[in-house]
Amino acid sequence: MANRPSFVAASSAVWRMLAAIVFLVTVPFTQAQMEDEKPEIRQALARAITTTGDEQSKIIADLAETGSPFVRRILMSWPRDEISIYTDPSGAVIPVILDSDRDASGRAKAKRIDTGAWLTDASGQPFTFTSQDLKPAETDSKLRRQIRNTLDLMALADPSPANRISAIMKLGLAQKPANLPILEARVDKETDRKVQKALSEAIALIQLKEGDPKVQAAAIKRLAELHSIRSLDVIKGIAADKSAEPAVIAAATSAIASINGYIQGVNFFGTIFRGLSLGSILLVVALGLAITFGLMGVINMAHGEIMAIGAYTVYVVENFFGPGLDVSPFGVRISIPGLHATGAFYESYFLFSLPLAFLVAAAAGILLERGVIRFLYKRPLESLLATWGVSQVLQQLYRLVFGAANVQVNSPRWLSGNFTISDVIFGYNRLFVIGFAVLIVFGTWLLLTKTPLGLLIRAVMQNRSMASCMGVRTERVNMLTFGFGSGLAGLAGAFLSQIGNVGPSLGQNYIVDCFMTVVLGGVGSIFGTVCSAIGIGIVDQSLQQILLNPVMGKIIVLAGIILFLQWRPAGIFVTKSRSLEG
Amino acid sequence: MRLFKTLAALLLTAVTVPILLPSAAHAQETVKVGVLHSLSGTMAISETSLRDVLLFAFDEINASGGVLGKKIEPVVVDGASNWPLFAEKAKQLLEQDKVAVTFGCWTSVSRKSVLPVFEKDNGLLFYPVQYEGEELSKNIFYTAEAVGQQAIPAVDYLLDQGKKKFYLIGTDYVYPQTTNLVLMEYLLSKGIPIENIGGGLRKEGDKVVSAGKYTPFGHTDYQQIVSEIKQFAASGDACVINTINGDSNVPFFKEYAASGLTADDCPVVSFSLSEDEFRGLPAKDLVGQLGCWTYFMSIDAPANKKFIADFQKWLSTTTVPGIVKEKRVTCSPMVLSYDGVYLWKAAVEKAGTFDVDKVREVLESGSISFDGPGGKVTMQKNHHVTKTVYIGETKADGQFKIIKTFPDVYGEPFLKGSFAKK
Repeated sequence: MANRPSFVAASSAVWRMLAAIVFLVTVPFTQAQMEDEKPEIRQALARAITTTGDEQSKIIADLAETGSPFVRRILMSWPRDEISIYTDPSGAVIPVILDSDRDASGRAKAKRIDTGAWLTDASGQPFTFTSQDLKPAETDSKLRRQIRNTLDLMALADPSPANRISAIMKLGLAQKPANLPILEARVDKETDRKVQKALSEAIALIQLKEGDPKVQAAAIKRLAELHSIRSLDVIKGIAADKSAEPAVIAAATSAIASINGYIQGVNFFGTIFRGLSLGSILLVVALGLAITFGLMGVINMAHGEIMAIGAYTVYVVENFFGPGLDVSPFGVRISIPGLHATGAFYESYFLFSLPLAFLVAAAAGILLERGVIRFLYKRPLESLLATWGVSQVLQQLYRLVFGAANVQVNSPRWLSGNFTISDVIFGYNRLFVIGFAVLIVFGTWLLLTKTPLGLLIRAVMQNRSMASCMGVRTERVNMLTFGFGSGLAGLAGAFLSQIGNVGPSLGQNYIVDCFMTVVLGGVGSIFGTVCSAIGIGIVDQSLQQILLNPVMGKIIVLAGIILFLQWRPAGIFVTKSRSLEG
Repeated sequence: MRLFKTLAALLLTAVTVPILLPSAAHAQETVKVGVLHSLSGTMAISETSLRDVLLFAFDEINASGGVLGKKIEPVVVDGASNWPLFAEKAKQLLEQDKVAVTFGCWTSVSRKSVLPVFEKDNGLLFYPVQYEGEELSKNIFYTAEAVGQQAIPAVDYLLDQGKKKFYLIGTDYVYPQTTNLVLMEYLLSKGIPIENIGGGLRKEGDKVVSAGKYTPFGHTDYQQIVSEIKQFAASGDACVINTINGDSNVPFFKEYAASGLTADDCPVVSFSLSEDEFRGLPAKDLVGQLGCWTYFMSIDAPANKKFIADFQKWLSTTTVPGIVKEKRVTCSPMVLSYDGVYLWKAAVEKAGTFDVDKVREVLESGSISFDGPGGKVTMQKNHHVTKTVYIGETKADGQFKIIKTFPDVYGEPFLKGSFAKK
């Protein structure tokens, strides 16, 4: 993490995405560099690692004062057993860090903590070790606790606001009056607004432990004003404490009410956002089907498997950017060499894979249309069976090529993370899918209504024979439309690879949701699909929020859809067209 | 898929039988042993690994002279992830093939399905996968982790780390439901107030019938639950006890990582994710999260190193059709299967016979133990096994770094109601 390119750490979401798009240059991960640290600090650290007991705690406490990033890094590595102990022939113990560069046999050089130089033998030749050769520097739970506390104190001066906030909150929740002066000293130095808020929250939390009821009541009041969800448990404890002053209890009771009210607000807006994001996922997966089933009337049971093609495309592209991939379908060994990209270039693999997923899935769709479906336009039941058969064949093909187990797709860093506004979490992946859904719906709308191809598609879908009489090459339009719908399915699969599993059964998990969304929206209406997707998403999330039970929520949504279709069998938006009536 | 796997299973039986024919000619020199796992269907991914390790153990034993001078002749049948079929196959093994012992089952429901068959025909079954307890059949030996050998030590570890709030989440079926009820009782007995147990409680009258949050198999949308966990964990000292099964762990952990929750402020300890599952999971999203098993592939002991090396060697030379040879790992259910074979062998040799009643008597005597890859395992009178429990931290390569060891933990199936509330 320490050697992450700095622009990726930039805080704003937009900036991250832009960064990945714009900087398509390989930013090499620089070797973890040892900071040039003063010799006396290095020696003190080495002593801290090799001594025990009171002397050890004293040295660690002194080291905390230095605020040195090097000390912090060593203190972080120590409990993780990343510091090793070398005992030289004379019996002296030397703490070292094994270099991350390994040679072919897995051996690495070791850097001395006390001098920063490589550990060498008498002739000056560096020793090399495997990780088994050296014993790690021991820590016990008492020492680990001290290290953790020291790190917390040091983190108050961390350059990153997020780290400062988490350090401050740790101190606040520990509620040790001894830490109060340390936090108060930070108040004047702190300039970041969010960190200032965290500071006053933490200070108020610690003040709750003070004996003076007036201070306590004031602190409770401030926590309520700060909408501090974190302190809710503590305040509840105070309200339930019979020995507390009545004024304090009254303050606590009203604070609980106010914070709970705030949580409800957070949950309300959170639920709407989550509903939108779930709806967008449904929309993305159902849009392709809205074209092939909704417009063309083809019941394509292999739609899910076409999505899986998109997801596997992402998998292949990811491995192409990374270490490369070996697949062995039918005993033939195919090696795809890897680019071994790192940094922003690697992180951008997903953007390259999106158009590719569209193209590969569209090609598969066209193949399916030419090979199977075009013979069955007038026989929907046969097309159902035939495409179901195709879906089985495709699933087996995935197993043969990529194995029966799910494959790992690592999400790029800019899709994993979030920002919060008033405690409502906005995940980047969720924002991305909402934007993505808007984009592809808009693109589809443009294609269908503003292009010559769109005009032909609509003409053929409304009345195939009439369009044919007018000289439209309906065969070709069918093929292109089906290819477009399949391409959209590929895009959906590409996105699903970022939030779920990629495996042979990916398609099966979504096919029911797809048909449900399209049928509820009204077959033939793209706008209906949009409405039903968003509607299902929000209702599903609200029910989960109200019932606190995902199983019941799902059941009620399905029951609701059945009832709705009883009342309006044609869905939300009824499309009138000759082809559908026939 | 099913067709293919069934074919593979058929082929397998077809191939193993002729291979063993020369020895079958001298019927005196072989003993039939049943292997009852799903080699097709949804559970095949996990259970096929157990078949592999069992065949490896049999080959290993046969190479060193067999059991009581007889070579083991495996009879592999496919339960096909179909629970009633498990019972039929068990019947076939016991009545038709007359196997001396059977190693098999993964899901609790498959075990419940074969249990009456083994009791009726007085068979012997070794069951290797962590389970919820509350069961004890005279015909089943449970080398599996009982709740007290996985969930309880994990909670002990978290309590020791100063955790005060526990969020329970799992897949909606018998193992998570029962385990979480036991855990709730245990946490209450440790002085954790009930409001600090997250995920929700369902009560019938005054009795809690379900503790924690449950999602269906194959659930993909964990936004709501993760945001709930985030609020739950805001006050610090919280952790998540995860009994989600299979695929759903991927969306759960992706959502968890995306929401900014980390192993530092709110660790997740999972009971259904072993090294074998990590072959299909992005381990990157799980780095630092905890696992608790009675074996980890990373155990630094000669017995384990030898076991892994021998297994890999066996994989490279084996002729079992359709076996996956690349990127194989070892995990707790595999090792407990392996341990089961050797415990049975030791008991048979001590009894001097394959007779089920006599073997059971020896196994129940408490004197049968085996130094397995995960340490010494000893069969107890109550058909469960005393063994060492490990807590590990997930690393980016899908392995675990062992951070805590509980040696010789007694296996106790009946824990519900056994913890007094403080």
